[in-house]
Amino acid sequence: MPEKKDVRILAYESSCDETSTAVVKNGREIESLVVATQIKSHQRFGGVVPEVASRHHIEVITQITKEALAEAGTNWADLDAIAVTYGPGLVGALLIGVSAAKAASMATGLPLIGVDHIMGHIMAAQLTDEITYPALALQVSGGHTELVLMHDPLNFEIIGDTRDDAAGEAYDKIGRVLGVNYPAGKTIDAWAQEGHDTFHFPRAMLQEDNYDFSFSGLKSAFINTAHHADQIHEQLNKKDLAASFQAAVIDVLAEKTVRALKQYEPKTFILGGGVAANLGLRTRLSQEINKLAQQPKVIMPPLKLCGDNAAMIGAAAYNLFEAGQFADLTLNANPSLELPYAASMLN
Amino acid sequence: MKILSISTATSNLSVALTENERTVAAAEETDRRNHSEHLDPLINQLLKQAGWQLADIDRFAVALGPGSYTGLRIGVTTVKMFASILNKELVGLSTLAILADNFAHSDQLVVAALDARNDNFFAGAYIFKNGQPTNVVPDGHYHLDKLLAAIKQAAQEQGKKNVILAGSGLSERSEALQAALPDLSLTFAQDQDNQVHASHLGQLARSAKILDPDQVLPRYLRRTQAEMDWHRKTGKPFGQDSDYVEEV
Repeated sequence: MPEKKDVRILAYESSCDETSTAVVKNGREIESLVVATQIKSHQRFGGVVPEVASRHHIEVITQITKEALAEAGTNWADLDAIAVTYGPGLVGALLIGVSAAKAASMATGLPLIGVDHIMGHIMAAQLTDEITYPALALQVSGGHTELVLMHDPLNFEIIGDTRDDAAGEAYDKIGRVLGVNYPAGKTIDAWAQEGHDTFHFPRAMLQEDNYDFSFSGLKSAFINTAHHADQIHEQLNKKDLAASFQAAVIDVLAEKTVRALKQYEPKTFILGGGVAANLGLRTRLSQEINKLAQQPKVIMPPLKLCGDNAAMIGAAAYNLFEAGQFADLTLNANPSLELPYAASMLN
Repeated sequence: MKILSISTATSNLSVALTENERTVAAAEETDRRNHSEHLDPLINQLLKQAGWQLADIDRFAVALGPGSYTGLRIGVTTVKMFASILNKELVGLSTLAILADNFAHSDQLVVAALDARNDNFFAGAYIFKNGQPTNVVPDGHYHLDKLLAAIKQAAQEQGKKNVILAGSGLSERSEALQAALPDLSLTFAQDQDNQVHASHLGQLARSAKILDPDQVLPRYLRRTQAEMDWHRKTGKPFGQDSDYVEEV
């Protein structure tokens, strides 16, 4: 039997404040990964400014294309497809990757693959270990907080979602109150390790019989506590505040995840998204899963694959490539692209 | 020399294939906001019509700006990638020069302007010598009052009494503009002469300066509001774009 030919995909990601290219082999092996981050720029404003982000993306797009090919020791003729995140994200930012990938597809004749950013985040797991299906993913980032049931590499459905703020968004907002610049997650996580949950903030929707999340109440409780202390000139312990906030976030994420693991008994559990870099969350989920009678394989991608990067897009694109799901040159950015919702959520 | 020219600067998406002074194929989609969806298929359609391949193109030309920020980036990203991958030449021209070029054979002062809302315009004024534009009111972001003063001064310096105005947001104000410039005779461009045409870009592109695809950026002519607010608040210098993006 002839050996299956390797599939090499050049992938683009530009949905928010990172411009990234990667060459990924067979959806599993990273041959190159280039990430140009704009954090320093947006720190001037305390958060991502969409127009500024778009301007930075176009500055680096041709250079990082060449770098990804050079770092992989490959050239256009060795590639099999070009993939790009087309949503969800900031429309102006997405359009740089989409325009670049389409132009590259036209100039090289290589097929084009449009990838859902969230599917990409989850597929960072495929770069780490083999996923056995069905799988369950907890996808937590600055824009999303979702529990996703994966029947196979292509068919995903959302079984739980945030009703308001994403978890990462809540971190950035309370970070501002604590004087921590965006992105605040890393610092809050580090402070939380040293503090104690003394404030007992509310755990929203913990008792409800669904897999949805809500973080705006927690955020408000946090802000009220901080403002009240300000007014009466009381100094609160920042580390305890951070620990209390993080404990409330993690309690809800862990509890709902464990409940879903018990109900669906997936073969693999995946933690994805930028907040997946949170040590407190990683530790707690591992502990909870260890207690389960039916233990899934756990894949938590390394930190550099948790944030936005093109390698994860290349991984997801490979599955689409194998299924023959290609895009054409009318591909457009779709800022509000969503994975399908499970039937249970459509009421 | 075969040139592919693109303008995504305004709501009018315009693409042209030219070979020397001849326009081989051209197409426009008026008032389309989805340039991202239509640009590449339109290029393919024109190439097919001309019997050319993308790889046959010797030079890629683009309207660099001013214009819709998002629109500009679609066109500029596309030609950056084409030129970079196919190792071909890239040129970029002022959107306003291309617009003014609708009157390349006129001896009047040509004002090209794009409505930037709240009585602001991205605008410039041009005179033509042997069909080549010279920018006599520098392309910029102007409040209407400043623009009128600049037009008045340029007309005086260039010894022009007759002024043509092309673009968007001007003809609606024709009476007010004429009243503000009583010594000048204003003509407002009609219909297609208010649009940016890639066929004109294709002609200007023949003698334009070759740019490095890695370095070329849209000519926005205006910093973002966030940067201006930050600068005002902190007094810190804007710095180079490269100060803010780092590979990790």
